[in-house]
Amino acid sequence: MDFSFTKKEEKFRTELRTWLETNLPEGWLEGKRDLPEDLDEYSAYLRAWQRTLYDGGWAAIAWPKEYGGRDASLMEEIIYHQEMVRVKAPPLINYIGIHMVGPTLIDMGTEEQKEKYLKKILTGEEIWCQGYSEPSAGSDLTALKTRAVKDGDRWLINGQKVWTSFGHVADKCFLLTRTSTVPEKKHRGITVFLIDMDQPGVETLPIIQMDGHKDFNEVYLTDAVATDADIVGQVDSGWHVLIALMLHERTGIGAELFTLEKQFNDTVTLAQQYKVNGQPLIHNPLIRQKMAGFYARVRGSLLNYYRNLTTTVKNGQPGPESSIDKLVVSELNKELSSFAVEIQGHQGLLWDKDAAVDSKWQRLFLASFGQTIGGGTSEVQRNTIGERVLGLPKDMGR
Amino acid sequence: MDFSLTEDQEMFRGQIRKMLDKFGGTQVAREMIADKPESLKKVYSTLAELGCSGINIPEEYDGLDLEALDLVPTFEELGRSLVPGLFMETNALVVPIIKKYGTDEQKKNYLTAIAAGDKQVSFAALEPFNDFSRQGIQCSLAKKDGQYVLNGTKILVPEAELADAFLLVVRTSEDVEDGLSLVLIDAVDELNIERQLSFDEAKHVAKIECNQLVITEEQIIGEVNKGWEQLQEGLLYFNAALSSYMVGAMEHVVHMAAEYAKIREQFGQPIGRFQAVKHSIVDMKVHLEIARSLSYYANWVVDTEENDREAAVYSARTYATEKFIEAASQNIQLHGGIGFTEELDCHLYVKRARYYDQYLGSTPFYQEKVVASLGW
Repeated sequence: MDFSFTKKEEKFRTELRTWLETNLPEGWLEGKRDLPEDLDEYSAYLRAWQRTLYDGGWAAIAWPKEYGGRDASLMEEIIYHQEMVRVKAPPLINYIGIHMVGPTLIDMGTEEQKEKYLKKILTGEEIWCQGYSEPSAGSDLTALKTRAVKDGDRWLINGQKVWTSFGHVADKCFLLTRTSTVPEKKHRGITVFLIDMDQPGVETLPIIQMDGHKDFNEVYLTDAVATDADIVGQVDSGWHVLIALMLHERTGIGAELFTLEKQFNDTVTLAQQYKVNGQPLIHNPLIRQKMAGFYARVRGSLLNYYRNLTTTVKNGQPGPESSIDKLVVSELNKELSSFAVEIQGHQGLLWDKDAAVDSKWQRLFLASFGQTIGGGTSEVQRNTIGERVLGLPKDMGR
Repeated sequence: MDFSLTEDQEMFRGQIRKMLDKFGGTQVAREMIADKPESLKKVYSTLAELGCSGINIPEEYDGLDLEALDLVPTFEELGRSLVPGLFMETNALVVPIIKKYGTDEQKKNYLTAIAAGDKQVSFAALEPFNDFSRQGIQCSLAKKDGQYVLNGTKILVPEAELADAFLLVVRTSEDVEDGLSLVLIDAVDELNIERQLSFDEAKHVAKIECNQLVITEEQIIGEVNKGWEQLQEGLLYFNAALSSYMVGAMEHVVHMAAEYAKIREQFGQPIGRFQAVKHSIVDMKVHLEIARSLSYYANWVVDTEENDREAAVYSARTYATEKFIEAASQNIQLHGGIGFTEELDCHLYVKRARYYDQYLGSTPFYQEKVVASLGW
C-alpha cells in the first residue's frame, strides 16, 4: 500500500499548479469568481477559458499526443482534477466534447470526422451536447423514438430530446436516433449522428430547474438534416458506440469526489463559525456525532475510489465494482448538502443575497436532487451493481 | 499510488480461508455454543503454525516483524467464519502495547511466547454498573507495605477459560489526571473466574474477581497512572483489527443474502429479481466496500505518523460497527422465516454484531474521538 505520488506525478502537479496561477481569469484566485449572467457573455467567457486551456496544452490531457493531448496517465488525470477543484477553476464548457465525444471519435470515428472535429473540440470553437433522453425514454434509453430516415443522400431526423446539457450553447450534438424498429432487441436499431445544432430543423428550449438554473434543454428535431458522413460507427449499431463512449468517461467521478471532500471541509467550517445559543454549532454533541458519521462516509468513499482506481491501473480497465462510486457520491452529496442547510435553522431557507452565511449552501442543496437522477438514477445504479457485481437476476422486462 | 493488498497478502488470505473451511467455517463458533472449545484451540495452534501469531512481533522475539496491515487477511477470515477466541486481543491489543510500553524483560517473556502461539491474553476492562470510561474503572491497585494489592471485579471478559494471561486496566490513583494503570496477570489460577450468560453464546464471557491479589511491579506495563492513555494507543491497533474482523463477517453476510436471493423462488421467480430485495442487498454490498476501504486504510495508517491516524481508525470502527449490524439484521429479513431459525447462521452474525457494537467503547464514544482528534 502506497499513498504517495511519484516524482514524475508531483512534477506534473507543480507544472499545472504554476500554470493555473498565471493563467486563471484575473482575480479568480483572490475570490472574484462570478460568471456572467447573460447567456452570450457566459458562453463567451467560458469559451475563452477553454481556449486558454488549449493554448497552455491543458484542454484534454488524456488524449493521445497526436491529437493534441498529453497521453496523461490515470494518476495524472486524478491530479488534474484535484488541482482544478483546489482553485475552484471555471467549469469546462466543452466537458462533453473533451471527455466523451472526442475520445469516442479518436477511437471509432472516421479520419474525416477526426480531422473535422477534434481540434475544434479542444479550442472550444465547437461546443458539444449529447442527445440521449427523451420524454418517454429516461432510465430506459432503448425506448427512444427520435427517428432518422434516409431520404435520398441525406437523413431526415424527427423527434424530441430532453435533459440535453449545454444544448443552448452547443454547436454540435452527439445524437442517438432510431433507424430501425424491426429488431426484437430495442438497442439494435439505434444509430449515432453528429449533427449541427445551428440548422432550421433544430430548436432548443431551456428547462427551468427547481434551483432556478437552466442547465438543460428540450431539443426539438423537425426534419433535421444529417449525412452518411455524420454517422459514428455503423447504422443500427449506435448502442455499441454509446457503451464505448461511457467507458471513456473514466475519471469524472473522481472530480465529483474531490468536490464533495471540499464541500465537507466547508461544512466543518460552517459548523465552527455558525452559532446557536451563543455557542459554535460544532460544540453540540449531536452535531459532532453527525459530523463524525459524514467524515467516515466521505473518507470511505474517497478511499473506495482509490481502491477501484488501483484495480483499473492494474487491469487496464475498471472492474464492475467501480459502479459503486457514482451511487455513493451522489447520495452522499444529497445528504451532506441537506445537513448543511438544516443546521442553519430556519435561516437555512434564505438564499441569494439574503442567505444567512453563503448562498452556495442553498444552491448545493437544491442542485443535489439532480445528481441522484442524472447520469443514471440511483435505482438504475443499484440494478447495475446488483446484476453485475452480485450476479443477481435481471428484473422483469429485461 | 497503490491502494490494495499485495499478492502475498491475498495468497495468505487464501491459506487461512482454506484452513478455516476445513474446520467447517462457523462450526468452530457453533461448538463453542455447546461448550466445546477443542476446535477453537486447534484453530489457534494452526494459526500459530502458519505464522499468524508472530506477524507483528519483532524478529528478535521470533516474530515476522511485519505490520498491522499484514494481519488484515487473518482478521477478515476469522470474521468471515465468526471464529471466537483471543487472537485479536492478543495480537492487536496486547502486542502493540507491550511493543510500545513494555520493558525488555516483558517483551522477552511475552512476545516470544505469543509469537510461538503459547500465550493467549484476554482483556478485562469493564466493571459492573460502569461504562467504558476513565471514571468507570474502579478496580483498585494499591501499594501497601512495598507490594501491590489488587481488588475489584471485571465483567464481560472474553474467553477467560482459554486465557493464559489477562491484561487489566486498574485504578492506581484518584488524584491525578489519568490515574489508571495496565497490569498483566499470568497467575490465572488465583483469579475467581465465573462464566456469564450472553446471547452471543458462541463468544464466551466471564466475570473475574480479584480479592487481595498480590501483584509485583514487573507485572505493570508502562508507566503507572498513565494506563488510560497507553490503552488508547493499543486500542488504535485493536479497533483497526476489529474493523477488519467485522468486514470479513459482513462479507459473508452479503454473500449469504445474495446467494439465497438467487435460489429462493416465490411468485415463480428468484426473489433476487425483485428490486425491493435486490436493492437492499446492493446497499449492504456498498456499505461493505466502503467499510473495507476504511479498514484497509486504518490498518495502514496505524503504523504511520499521519495526521489522520486516530480519525481514520475510529471512523473505520464506527462505520463498520454500524453497517455490520444493519447488514446482519437485514440478512435475516431477506431469508424470511428460515432466517429466524437457529439452524441457519444468520442469527450468529447479528449476535456477534451486537457483541462488538459496544465492545471497548460505543459508537458515540468513538464518534466523539473522531471529531476530537480532528481538533473540531
